[in-house]
Amino acid sequence: MSTSNFVLFLVSGGLAIVGAIGTVASRKPLRAAVALLLHIIALAALYLTLHAELLAALQLLVYAGAIVVLFVFVIMLIGPAAEVPSNPRGKITRLLSLVVGGSVMATVSFALVGHTAPRLPMLRNEAGENIFGTVEGMGVAIYQQALVPFELVSAALLVAIIGAIAIARSRTPQEQAVVVERQAERIELAAARDAELAQATAKVGS
Amino acid sequence: MFAEYLPVFLLLLVAVGVAIFMFTMASLAGPKNMTPEKAIPYEAGSNTTGARHIRLSIKFYLTAILFVVFDIEAVFLYPWAAMFRRLGWQGLIEMVLFLAVLGVTLVYAWRKGALEWEK
Amino acid sequence: MSVWMLVSPLLMLGLGGLLVMLVDAFVDEKAELPILTAILLAVAGGVAAAGIVNYDNVALAGAPEYLTRYLAFDRFALFFDVVVCGGAALSALLAGGYLREHDLERGEFYILIIYAALGAMVLGHAIDLLTIFIGLETMSLGAYAMVAFRRTSARAVEGAVKYFLLGSFAAAILLFGSALLYGATGHTDLAGIGEAIEGGNASIKLVLMAMFMMIVGLAFKVSAVPFHMWTPDAYEGAVTPATTFMSVAVKSAAFAVMVRVLLTVFGDDLSASAASGWPPVIAGLAAITMVYGNLAAIGQSSVKRMLAYSSVAHAGYAMVGVVAAFRVEEIAVSSVLFYLMAYTVGNVLTFGALIWFGSNGREAVSYEDLAGAGRRHPLVALPFVIGVLTLMGFPPTAGFFAKYYVFNAAVQAGGGMIWLAIIGVLSSAVGAYYYLRVIVFLFMKEPQPGAPIAIPMRSGYVAFVMIIAGYFVMKMGITPGPYLDLAMSAAEQFVS
Repeated sequence: MSTSNFVLFLVSGGLAIVGAIGTVASRKPLRAAVALLLHIIALAALYLTLHAELLAALQLLVYAGAIVVLFVFVIMLIGPAAEVPSNPRGKITRLLSLVVGGSVMATVSFALVGHTAPRLPMLRNEAGENIFGTVEGMGVAIYQQALVPFELVSAALLVAIIGAIAIARSRTPQEQAVVVERQAERIELAAARDAELAQATAKVGS
Repeated sequence: MFAEYLPVFLLLLVAVGVAIFMFTMASLAGPKNMTPEKAIPYEAGSNTTGARHIRLSIKFYLTAILFVVFDIEAVFLYPWAAMFRRLGWQGLIEMVLFLAVLGVTLVYAWRKGALEWEK
Repeated sequence: MSVWMLVSPLLMLGLGGLLVMLVDAFVDEKAELPILTAILLAVAGGVAAAGIVNYDNVALAGAPEYLTRYLAFDRFALFFDVVVCGGAALSALLAGGYLREHDLERGEFYILIIYAALGAMVLGHAIDLLTIFIGLETMSLGAYAMVAFRRTSARAVEGAVKYFLLGSFAAAILLFGSALLYGATGHTDLAGIGEAIEGGNASIKLVLMAMFMMIVGLAFKVSAVPFHMWTPDAYEGAVTPATTFMSVAVKSAAFAVMVRVLLTVFGDDLSASAASGWPPVIAGLAAITMVYGNLAAIGQSSVKRMLAYSSVAHAGYAMVGVVAAFRVEEIAVSSVLFYLMAYTVGNVLTFGALIWFGSNGREAVSYEDLAGAGRRHPLVALPFVIGVLTLMGFPPTAGFFAKYYVFNAAVQAGGGMIWLAIIGVLSSAVGAYYYLRVIVFLFMKEPQPGAPIAIPMRSGYVAFVMIIAGYFVMKMGITPGPYLDLAMSAAEQFVS
């Protein structure tokens, strides 16, 4: 890693951590969303240090451009003034979660210290050029190697849309009509049953 | 690597610098004499009434999530379009299938009234 | 025969689901979506079953590389295709009765079932971390939406939010584990990761950390204690057909991943790597899951919630088989497969009977609701009785042999696993208390004067599901042979 790259890594890595802490620690949802935005942009810069240039651009497009906007939308939905109430849990629980979270982080860091990632063969095109991270490289990876997962992603997106529609939409006029009709049927049925019952009891009585 | 993106970082630096400069200058150089009229949100309009936050319809949320999903779809289109010739028929079939799935989903959303705006 | 026959169950659901969507969108309200969905799922399951039977005639060698790189088309995967499709088809029919009776009928539910089932099947086939994650998300997103389906009910929303948050958290942990595995070995395919670990080419510290995270993530999905917190609320809040689907298809698929990941990535007792030290972890989880699930189920006053805890306990029993797979692979894996199959039909039967006892917007939920219902409607109570008996493990039902094979596998494996079998037997004896309590309430109690009484719904769908599920519960209990052979052949091919 060249020095300038290392500097970029340190700066964007530091900003990513600041953004992540800001996201979970701020009381105001809107501030948390902005901190998340900082984190996402820093993450895109981190992708740049890994030579994943297209991914960095898409990260900005999808996350900063769409997902944070969605979050802000939801915050508007519950009201921008909405504040997170102070943590109702006791001090001990909070301390315990800090200890557990801290020890997981410490163990992962310990496991990572001194580890060098395995050397992977570079993705090359026919001309032998390194195409990792470029549009060409992404195209080869998605549409020639991973085409099955790619098609499965469409199913995942479909489920997300249908799920959102299922939760959010109200009945269409046709569905409302069916429900009304069915309820009327049921009332009739119950009335018929009651009449039968009344007849039967009348017979027993006489 | 870093040199290639130097203009981007310079731009970021300038943007942040300008913002900081404007805020500090405004607070340093601007006159400050606050009157009650100036403190209310809409200085020149009628008095504000009602609760501070209104609850928006869930329709907004639905629209937002539809937007995100189709945004992701567009992201998948980009590398495909850039390599259209090299991927050939196989790539075309893949993408048609992908778009067909999401196209049917869009038709479904439309027929179920998820794209309607009234109410 | 071409390999495409083995792919066709996945393709059928993917493309058939689009067809169902178009029918729902353009044909008016008279469309019989439950039947359409159930037929689609049943045909896909049938093709998968035919694939298992004719497996030796399939030319797997000629399969295109892009297909076999991410998905395995072995008997193990096909077996889960059958189980998931069967469970999903029966859930869809139950939904046909339930949603209509309670005025919740909206076409999205069936589409969610189809695509969530597709995700679950992908999990059975997945041999790459990438496909595991996509399958898991497809399945889980569908399940979250199904839980929140009755959005006007505060309970449903509470359950869905808990399920969604904890489920996403678990998926993130699983993803973190996957990333560490990739960082340690440079592979995303399970076989490649396994070889690298076995060959000592991976940092063992990282691998152990990854293993810990993968196990936590999967334990969430199978709802093992102490990662079960979402289960009672989500199961109780969801519309009952969604609960049925979650408890059978989602759980089976999670077990498929668990077995495949543990055995191919981290290795069995023949492997030299320290990563094969997973059995004590799973054994511990299995033991507390069995004990806690059964004890917590006793205290419930709602039958639906009791069944949620019972499903936690059943995850513990199945995990006993997973642990035993460490040493006696074939016997143990086949016992897990048989267990999941028997549990699927048994659970569909029990939840279906619970659905049957509700009508016109009023569901039977608590024990009190069921008081005396068995004497008023003996025919409706019969599947309920068979259902709780098979969940209890009473002979001659499917549940008896399921438990028998699992505990037998543990005994065969020997060592500390015999203790696990003993804990399992003791805790299922505890379980008899709350299962029998259902029967006691059905037949020996009278409703409180003035209390609402359960009136069964009139639905051909539900009755049909009861017949099918009841048939298989009895068939697998009386002649378990063919089903065990099926499970054996699936396990044998997988373990190799």
